[in-house]
Amino acid sequence: MKRQEVTSYKMVDQELELLKKFEEDSGWFNKNIDKLRKENFTGKFVAIKNEKPIASGENVDIVIKSLEKLKENPSYIFIEFVYPKGHILIL
Amino acid sequence: MIIPLDVDNFAGSLRIMTHFVLRSEDPKLFLPIRAIVDTGSPLTLIGPADIARMRVSKFQLNSKLEGRPQPVSVGGGQISTKILKNAKIKFGNGFETELDVDFPVKNEEKSVQPSLLGMNFLLETKSKLFFDGKNHIAHLEIED
Repeated sequence: MKRQEVTSYKMVDQELELLKKFEEDSGWFNKNIDKLRKENFTGKFVAIKNEKPIASGENVDIVIKSLEKLKENPSYIFIEFVYPKGHILIL
Repeated sequence: MIIPLDVDNFAGSLRIMTHFVLRSEDPKLFLPIRAIVDTGSPLTLIGPADIARMRVSKFQLNSKLEGRPQPVSVGGGQISTKILKNAKIKFGNGFETELDVDFPVKNEEKSVQPSLLGMNFLLETKSKLFFDGKNHIAHLEIED
């Protein structure tokens, strides 16, 4: 196998690994939304990494600044808004 | 080819959700995204929170997107969007395609609009959408 092909495969692996972790944190968020509400995250954006909230704020820019302080790349971190219980979003 | 989808409660309702990586060379973007599969949306839209995660300046992003800002009505108001042509979208099973994606550029600051995978994706990939709400099962079937 050529070196370029090996590099390309590694990149694909890394992309999919990153997506997998992101999906896991997304799944954790969904399963634990009530817990997050009880912990006063309602109405806030919350950043999840390795199935734990690591930053939160009333707007996403606050969360991103907090992540940068933690030396995290916000592009790779799952961030979602915690809607109040019973809130219905019609798209 | 089958793309498995999630069926989750989100913002007051059962939704079909998916995850993909959005990539572009110019502007340079690489971003995992969670989106609602929305057959009521004609377009694929990246939500303001996901755009903020990209950390691309508004000015830079605006200059790389095509067209004039077009008004789009979303839940809770109206935003204006511009289009990123031929963005690459890749799913966890390795399926990748190119798609025009809308980015909010105006009046989006206070919006909590989630990202949407819209009808343009379903039509361009000739996807069949299967949804079994009772059993929380959904997937896309795409002809190879």
